[in-house]
Amino acid sequence: PNAGNEMHNNWESLREGQSLVADPRLPGKCYPAVIDNFILNGPTVDVHAVESFVHHAMEMIMDEAVKKASDVQEKVCEWRSPEQLKELLDLDLRDEGEPESKILQRCRDAIRYSIKTGHRHFFNQLYAGMEPYSMVASFITEAIKTSLYTYEVAPVFTLMEETVLRKMIEMVGWEEGGDGIFNPGGSMSNMYAVNLARYHYCPDIKEDGLVAVQRLVILASQECHYSISKSAALLGIGTKNVYMVPSDSRGKMIPSALEELIKTAKSEGAVPFMVNATAGTTVLGAFDPIEEIADICEKYNLWLHVDACWGGAALMSDRHKHLLKGIHRVNSVAWNPHKMLMVSLQCSAFLVRDKTSLLQRCHSAQASYLFQQDKFYDVSYDTGDKSVQCSRKPDAFKFWLMWKALGTRELEQRVDRALAMARHLAQAIKKREGFTLLMEPEYANVCFWYVPPSMRSLPAGPELWEKLHTVAPVVKERMMKKGSLMVGYQAHHGQPNFFRMVVISPQVSREDLDFVLDEIHSLGKDL
Amino acid sequence: PANCYDLNESLVDHAEGQHFLNEAFKIITEEVLCKGTDVKQKVCEWKEPDELALLLDLELRATGEPEHRLLQRVKDVAKYSVKTCHPHFFNQQFGGLDYHSLGGRFLTEALNTAIYELSPVFVLMEAEVLRGLRQLVGWTEGDGIFCPGGSVSNMYAINLARYQLFPEAKSKGLWSLPQLILFTSQESHFSVMKGAAFLGIGTDNVISVKVDEGGHMIPEDLDEKIMLVKSQGAVPFLVSCTSGTTVQGAFDPLDLIADVCEKHKLWMHVDAAWGGSVLFSKQHRHLMKGIDRANSVAWNLHKMLVAGLQCSAFLLKDTTNLMKQCHSATATYLFQQDKFYDVNLDIGNKSVQCSRRVDCLKLWLMWKAVGSNGLAERVDRVFILVRYLVEQMKIREGLLLLHEPEFANVCFWYIPPSLRGKEGNADYQDKLAKVAPVIKERMMKQGTLMVSYQPLGNKVNFFRLTVLSPLLSQKDMDFFLNEIERLGNDL
Repeated sequence: PNAGNEMHNNWESLREGQSLVADPRLPGKCYPAVIDNFILNGPTVDVHAVESFVHHAMEMIMDEAVKKASDVQEKVCEWRSPEQLKELLDLDLRDEGEPESKILQRCRDAIRYSIKTGHRHFFNQLYAGMEPYSMVASFITEAIKTSLYTYEVAPVFTLMEETVLRKMIEMVGWEEGGDGIFNPGGSMSNMYAVNLARYHYCPDIKEDGLVAVQRLVILASQECHYSISKSAALLGIGTKNVYMVPSDSRGKMIPSALEELIKTAKSEGAVPFMVNATAGTTVLGAFDPIEEIADICEKYNLWLHVDACWGGAALMSDRHKHLLKGIHRVNSVAWNPHKMLMVSLQCSAFLVRDKTSLLQRCHSAQASYLFQQDKFYDVSYDTGDKSVQCSRKPDAFKFWLMWKALGTRELEQRVDRALAMARHLAQAIKKREGFTLLMEPEYANVCFWYVPPSMRSLPAGPELWEKLHTVAPVVKERMMKKGSLMVGYQAHHGQPNFFRMVVISPQVSREDLDFVLDEIHSLGKDL
Repeated sequence: PANCYDLNESLVDHAEGQHFLNEAFKIITEEVLCKGTDVKQKVCEWKEPDELALLLDLELRATGEPEHRLLQRVKDVAKYSVKTCHPHFFNQQFGGLDYHSLGGRFLTEALNTAIYELSPVFVLMEAEVLRGLRQLVGWTEGDGIFCPGGSVSNMYAINLARYQLFPEAKSKGLWSLPQLILFTSQESHFSVMKGAAFLGIGTDNVISVKVDEGGHMIPEDLDEKIMLVKSQGAVPFLVSCTSGTTVQGAFDPLDLIADVCEKHKLWMHVDAAWGGSVLFSKQHRHLMKGIDRANSVAWNLHKMLVAGLQCSAFLLKDTTNLMKQCHSATATYLFQQDKFYDVNLDIGNKSVQCSRRVDCLKLWLMWKAVGSNGLAERVDRVFILVRYLVEQMKIREGLLLLHEPEFANVCFWYIPPSLRGKEGNADYQDKLAKVAPVIKERMMKQGTLMVSYQPLGNKVNFFRLTVLSPLLSQKDMDFFLNEIERLGNDL
């Protein structure tokens, strides 16, 4: 029975003069308090009845969302048009509630029509795969349901976040240690970098606003993530004040061009205060040359932030960490374990090389209703004032439990394997007719064109580009409607649409990669 | 060959992972859900940070661990975490437990997706939920989005208000603008301050409007302060008022404030993160009379409606796609225009985030399960429980209310017998200030109860009991009063 029925039954018994003493939930005799038709003796929610709902829901989640989703025989996605889907889901919210069986069916429907990001043929984003340990941790997080602003309300998760941050900082290589926080996404971490960098430059900005300083300028490569632009807009700096540094043919920021732009900004009377380098760009997976960029930042006294949301995982690998060589010299790092390391969304860390409580000073508002100074425990464990958020989810725990389960070595192996897979795929593409590699992958992004037979004899030039540009969108539509595969595509710097294969999950094997190429060919050969 | 890894095989054993999931879930059910809602169990198992660090064996090592060890860890986490669903947890503006939203949350985690083309179900679902919420606000049209917390919702309001007035701020930054000023009440949430700093406006440009005894913004003072700012040549652009202040639970007089905002043409934002849920209740929605006149509303469903962190809605009256224009940055790798479906469904450009968690499912599922009527009942019941509590407090000795509660915050001092009748003494306030911290320490170390305390203005430390959980009943209220007395009567 749902909650409404339960209360109704109680009310009925009361009206018939029966005492509620017999109810096992009431330990002793107590006079029923009834105010305005509400019976206050018992909880509104029948705990036992609804526990069964969660049990059934969990069983169903295990079957439909976990087992099936990782079964390669099942579809990656069950495409429906928005109109069809609206009808199927019956989204309308009504006055009356529904029974358990209906709700369970709704859960089943939500699963059915959702994309199976854990499927072995899902390669669409910079995250993928199914990681059971972090998933369990995320269930625990949801069940415990607390916020990470004070030690008193989240003791376990506070300590875990601290441990994970310390370990990540160790991998970055800041010997003197540092500070950090987990954020709701890498975009937020990048915003923190901008905010800290400008606060570091001029702390008065916190109170006086940006009018306290000259026009500030951020420098980032043209391949950087769009959150840099969004940060500039939100933080009041303005998107035009993000100067885009050209990158070379492999997508890496050109240091000499960076220096030129810095000088340009200064000559305009503006103040360049921060450089954003990207370790693992979104499309090409390129790594900006951090050492050289650090030299320049030191020379001009600029804050160097590395957006390693995607590429940070390389730090776990002895073999590949050279991609981030020089990272120990930077001021701040954004690193998303929910990407290559497969922690459940979201898990985004912001690290800063600072031991002067810069994060705290920059963000604090010292609310008396959370951060009382007369608490009975060491209040330095209350991390809330480091954040611009109030309630904050304990995302680090998902990383911690997975790390405990697998160990650093296993995590390293996964990274190495993903990159080996990428290289293998690149080789396979080169050997195969009709497939053209954009560039040798530096990381896990493998970018390529599929050239249908009808276009293979065309010479390189605008006519081919125009035709080629139409191929990927059609193949994508077909793969989604068939539900067999999901791979991303985009145009980039005037080039026609190309596919971007991203290899992450250790569940993916060579035959899955062969399948990708076979399927794309099968779907597009008639074009 | 590229290296020695066997690429022919998957590296991960599915059966192992699924077994762990099943076993872990049993532990979660037992240790968190069952024990956590059982009044015979503790609310918290207090340990000092150093001790806890040792118990948890936090260190991250090179090698992994076997399943039984990990399951033990799951148990430990559950044991030493605060049971926020416990009927005796009153510490924050969230708590309690709703099983349908919990099911929704597990489902969200299992699907592990973010909102854009990646989640056709959830894009549609979010739109429907936001529409339902807007309807309760009184808007037949509008816009909205789910944010990672009310603080971010408030930031969105500030950013949009600024953008509407000065769209060039997006590209040129604040140097091209006159001095911007925003207004909020003395008792508003600190996120307005944090938002002003974060957005480059500066905390000094947040003007604090006076409140009355009950903690409500005084509209006359707001009007005066706006005029003063204008006379000084600065540009007021936003008023952020509160429906349900953090400490006292006060509801600012929205109609009167809307009059002032309309007069001066300022964006009116209502931070209803805490109090918004009264809109479900026919009996109590009058507390937010005038809400439909606002430009934007922040409403956290994870608070009174127990949807589970995070579930923070930001609602907008605007129908001109303001949010999208304000926040968009065209990223070719996400928002391709040549997609095969209507690209208006890619709502990612409305957000300042890239990946955005699916926060609507848990609310939608719960709403479907209990209906708007069921949610209204929960809200109404809270008011009844508060009334009962207040009546009891008046009967008992040593409990002094700050004032009659307007909402679900019950603020009071516990006055131990030794201090009763001694209000005249010079050191009375000092002594009283020390009472709550000691009782708090005791309650946490014994694990019987959790309720927060804070000072406010010239008022020394008092308790703030927040009533919200649908699991509460009269005996929990009785227990609460008895326990405070038991913990503190020797002071």
